[in-house]
Amino acid sequence: MTMLKREDWQDLARDVEWDYSYVDDEAVYPDWQSGTGKVPRQAWAKWEESYKVTYPEYVSNQHGKETSAYAVKAAMQRSKAFENLDEGWKSSTKMHFGGVTLVEFMGQIGELRMARFGLNGGWRNMAVFGALDESRHTQITMITGHEFVARDPQYDWTQKAFHTNDWAAIALRALFDGMIAAPNVVDLAIQLPLMFETGFTNLQFVALAADALGAGDINFANMISSIQTDEARHAQQGGPTLEILMEHDPVRAQWVVDKYFWLSARAFSALTGPGMDYYAPVGERKQSYREFMEEWIIDQFGRTLRDYGLKKPWYWDDFMASLDVWHHSLHLGFWFWRPTVWWKPVAGVGKAERAWLQEKYPNWETIYGPKWDTIIANINSGQIEKTLPATLPWLCNTCHLPNCNPTFGRDGRWRVRNWPLTYNGVTYHFCSKVCRQIWWEDRDGLNNPTVVERFLAGEIQPMDVPGILAWMGITPDVAGDDGHQYAWAAEYLPAQPAAVAGA
Amino acid sequence: MTSTHNGQAPEPAEAAPYLIPLNAVFDDDFLELLIPVMSNNTIAELAGAVAQHVEGVRVPARDAEKVVFFDGHPLPPDLTVAEAGIAPLGHVRVDYAS
Repeated sequence: MTMLKREDWQDLARDVEWDYSYVDDEAVYPDWQSGTGKVPRQAWAKWEESYKVTYPEYVSNQHGKETSAYAVKAAMQRSKAFENLDEGWKSSTKMHFGGVTLVEFMGQIGELRMARFGLNGGWRNMAVFGALDESRHTQITMITGHEFVARDPQYDWTQKAFHTNDWAAIALRALFDGMIAAPNVVDLAIQLPLMFETGFTNLQFVALAADALGAGDINFANMISSIQTDEARHAQQGGPTLEILMEHDPVRAQWVVDKYFWLSARAFSALTGPGMDYYAPVGERKQSYREFMEEWIIDQFGRTLRDYGLKKPWYWDDFMASLDVWHHSLHLGFWFWRPTVWWKPVAGVGKAERAWLQEKYPNWETIYGPKWDTIIANINSGQIEKTLPATLPWLCNTCHLPNCNPTFGRDGRWRVRNWPLTYNGVTYHFCSKVCRQIWWEDRDGLNNPTVVERFLAGEIQPMDVPGILAWMGITPDVAGDDGHQYAWAAEYLPAQPAAVAGA
Repeated sequence: MTSTHNGQAPEPAEAAPYLIPLNAVFDDDFLELLIPVMSNNTIAELAGAVAQHVEGVRVPARDAEKVVFFDGHPLPPDLTVAEAGIAPLGHVRVDYAS
């Protein structure tokens, strides 16, 4: 039988719609799920994806990718590559496996919501492919991480992390509940495919792929490169959605973009920043986190947003200043609160590393130098207990990350400023004025309690560090510790006087 | 009748001490911490409760007095937390005096 050429039938099939005779359109696409808002229903008829694909093409492409990805994985399984990897790199991958695997599954749920409630047939078809993509991403990330469980129990958190009350997992769940699970699909298409996938996953997938090759982890580079080829296709659902929303409700479009640019930046400063600027061996670093953000996010993605007619977010100056602070503070926080994470943070502050940090971030020594020097002195005097936490950091009610963003003030000092808000008799504290503003706008929506709030409500018993760790699901075999067993601090010990000959 | 630092009515002297969880930052430390204190702790004791998590831990210890700031104002060290009008979930900053 002769097959029709794609161009002869795809225009008819890709966005099939029909009128319902037995139910209203509003019943099929309720606003709380579909989210047309001020956009006239018929405006969605012109939604069109720029890169079209048919189901047979999709299956054929994906089959090729899977075959190739699993062939490399099988070959690497037979090698000794894993044994030669530095703990810094391994910890970058542990963060990724625990932090990303089930987010991919949440992505699948988001795609399925768009496949059901999207306001154009072409969009719904694209979302079906997106759901299949995300299913593949969950599976390949899960199987790659789990391969190492027998060698290191921290890899078990590939599957486990998202199901625990670990503070980092709660921060991720809060972010993705708001981004994927709760919103209508118009907001979802801008928040997930456009802001998160187009804007930011390049950070994790492109930068980390380069670092993986530098570290000798071909298996990991192969896995995330394979995933990224799918992102480029299904992420395009955001563009046509934003275009239509901008035409009819630009204020809403700007707010959704502003909000998720900020929240995505907060998440990636935790997920990617420490890996790039501390965990990767200094000789292998291609770019600093700031340089990567400037090239991939500020230049490239900023241009994309301008093309849609969007303005710079209202907090732009704060965001630019944050590139010198956020991930450094989060790294120090991960290291100091290391028993609460499922990887082994390396300090990354040997003398050569500090010279590199100071070159890339001219204020680094001023802000962070004295803190690390104090920690180093405690390590070198055998007081490891003084380098471990005895209380909780205060966590932001919006991003759920610690309130750890020093800013340079009129007092001439880099200090953490307090951003409180009292509402209905309860005082909340935020990491920044932007997170406070976002919370205020969304205050009647989804608000997950922070670990601090859960602690104060008595959910965590006993109310001490062991009680907190147990509540988070952290067991002694997976609790994080210094990735290099503190050996890096020895170079700061005073030089021993040379032995006198004949003495 | 005496008033608190905030001009509010003081706690009755016989009231049972109660827990006041605070949001606190010490000097140039890099983050805010959860610090539990009791309502009958003095401000000097509050300063110590915050400092024990930071001084000589992440911020170099200095031989200087510590001052607690609440609502932007320094508090007398012998006042109690309740007398100072510091409520649960309030924010305090502890700085070296010089």
